[in-house]
Amino acid sequence: MTEKSLFGVYGMSYSYGSELVLNEVSFEIEAGEILSLLGPNGSGKSTLLKAAAGVLRLDRKQCSGIIRYRGHDFLKMDHKLRARSVAYVPPAIRAEFPLTAFETVLMGRSCQATTMRSPHYEKDRDAVREAMELCLCWSWRDQDLHTLSGGERQLVALARGIAQQAKVFLLDEALSNMDLNHQAAMGRVLKTLAGKGCAIMLVSHDVNLATEWAQTCLLLNKGKRLAYGKIREVFTEENIRKLYPESSLVVAPSPTTGVPKIFFGNQG
Amino acid sequence: MNARLWRLYFLGLCTWIIAFVFALNFGIPADSPRDLISQLRFPRALLASAVGIGLSVAGAVLQALFSNPLCEPYTLGISSGAALGAVLAAALGINFIFFGITGSAFVGALLFGVILYFISRHRDTNNLGLLMAGVMLGFLGSSLVALWMALADPNGIQSALFWLLGDLSRARPRGAFFSLFAVLSLTLAAWGSWRKLDGLLMGEQDALTLGIPVPRVRTKMLILVSLLIAVCVSAAGMIGFIGLVIPHFARRAVGSLHQKLIPLCAIWGAAFLTFSDALSRSLFRPYELPVGVLTALLGAPLFLLVMFKRQGVK
Repeated sequence: MTEKSLFGVYGMSYSYGSELVLNEVSFEIEAGEILSLLGPNGSGKSTLLKAAAGVLRLDRKQCSGIIRYRGHDFLKMDHKLRARSVAYVPPAIRAEFPLTAFETVLMGRSCQATTMRSPHYEKDRDAVREAMELCLCWSWRDQDLHTLSGGERQLVALARGIAQQAKVFLLDEALSNMDLNHQAAMGRVLKTLAGKGCAIMLVSHDVNLATEWAQTCLLLNKGKRLAYGKIREVFTEENIRKLYPESSLVVAPSPTTGVPKIFFGNQG
Repeated sequence: MNARLWRLYFLGLCTWIIAFVFALNFGIPADSPRDLISQLRFPRALLASAVGIGLSVAGAVLQALFSNPLCEPYTLGISSGAALGAVLAAALGINFIFFGITGSAFVGALLFGVILYFISRHRDTNNLGLLMAGVMLGFLGSSLVALWMALADPNGIQSALFWLLGDLSRARPRGAFFSLFAVLSLTLAAWGSWRKLDGLLMGEQDALTLGIPVPRVRTKMLILVSLLIAVCVSAAGMIGFIGLVIPHFARRAVGSLHQKLIPLCAIWGAAFLTFSDALSRSLFRPYELPVGVLTALLGAPLFLLVMFKRQGVK
């Protein structure tokens, strides 16, 4: 393990029944880095992210691997400390109970507060406001979650993660339902966070979006690591065809930024 | 927002006081002895308040615990478990100790609660599966209560009705005070964990990533809710619907954050059950309706109405 790495997952395996979903996957993220995790459906991306967030171990015993945050065993850390270190942003937040957007983001503060403080404690409120303004969702703070669209709820979920004021962000398809405006804005937010020394891991099916922001990339295929490294080195036509063999894909540099992008080839 | 919250608390308290006064002055014929009020009606109204608080708070906590808005002591069958425990204790002759019945009701409630907990942890269980399991457990417990009663005594079905439909007529001054005290302390304990309960509303995985020690909170809350239900059921039988209807309306009024929700549930629950009980014994005098019949009669249509209204808005 290098000195610099903020967060690392080593030899993560996970089986669902008799099926091996993750097979000895390892990666590290440094402060300021955006890592993008790519792979086809069912390749174990979400499972890896949940395992890294420390939420899977409770479910079953068929999970092995080490997670380290600043060199500490992440799973042995106190729950509140874990939430102050690593924020997990789910693809969708539940809206079965009447909760406003503000109240939802406020839950991101439960890891910061001592037990008997009021939820409207000034510091919490300021942090929530800051996070919501950053995620462009302050204007519907008093709206009920189930009146919001999928993309709007994702902005709220991201704001909740930011309100945790964690150092590591694990985003599971967290931008997938946003429109292009919001995606671009959230891309800038993620880059700002990385600039402040946060480490970000991003799962996305939108491959071109992922390459735009990330510096490093982890390709996952059938639960195994296919390639891991700098975007320009990993993102080759050969690797991409291994990931998605059924479609004839072409990798070419973006005309504006020069980072590799995927295009559909002539389907003939 | 804050002024509105206090207004809701105040309104609930006023309703409860009115219901309490109503319960003290109506029901039993006026030519009965003077200490009727102090010996019968007062403890009964007190017990109604205690049970109303207990069941509403238990419902609100269970809904957060299983992150499912349809959970409550009755639909999950935990009340049946408590009733079964209490009936067995009474049959085995430990009914001379008040704690004996409440204690074994607690064991029954906790047993059913733990079974549900393990069912909910099974990876194929969704919300619907959990409710189905709860309803089945409830039927099982209720049938066993009825069976035991019928076998033990030819008129046993009559007393089985006490457990299955709820009845506050067995209230005695000391017991009612004990119930109220127990329920209030347990409610305070649940209220103290409001932040953790809030986190659980988002589901187990989200709660974990928000820094909530989910397994510990679940165990603590399951024990707390089982105690609440045991106190209520051993004193008054199984009263349905309160745990579902009161938290539902309270959530619509103040949202789902438990710091505001739990006190409101307690106040409204006390008012609702005190009022229902007073009605149940005054509507068809001299006959008494089991109070569970009345809470369902009031609660079910109200609940359906709200559901349909909500669907219409969507």
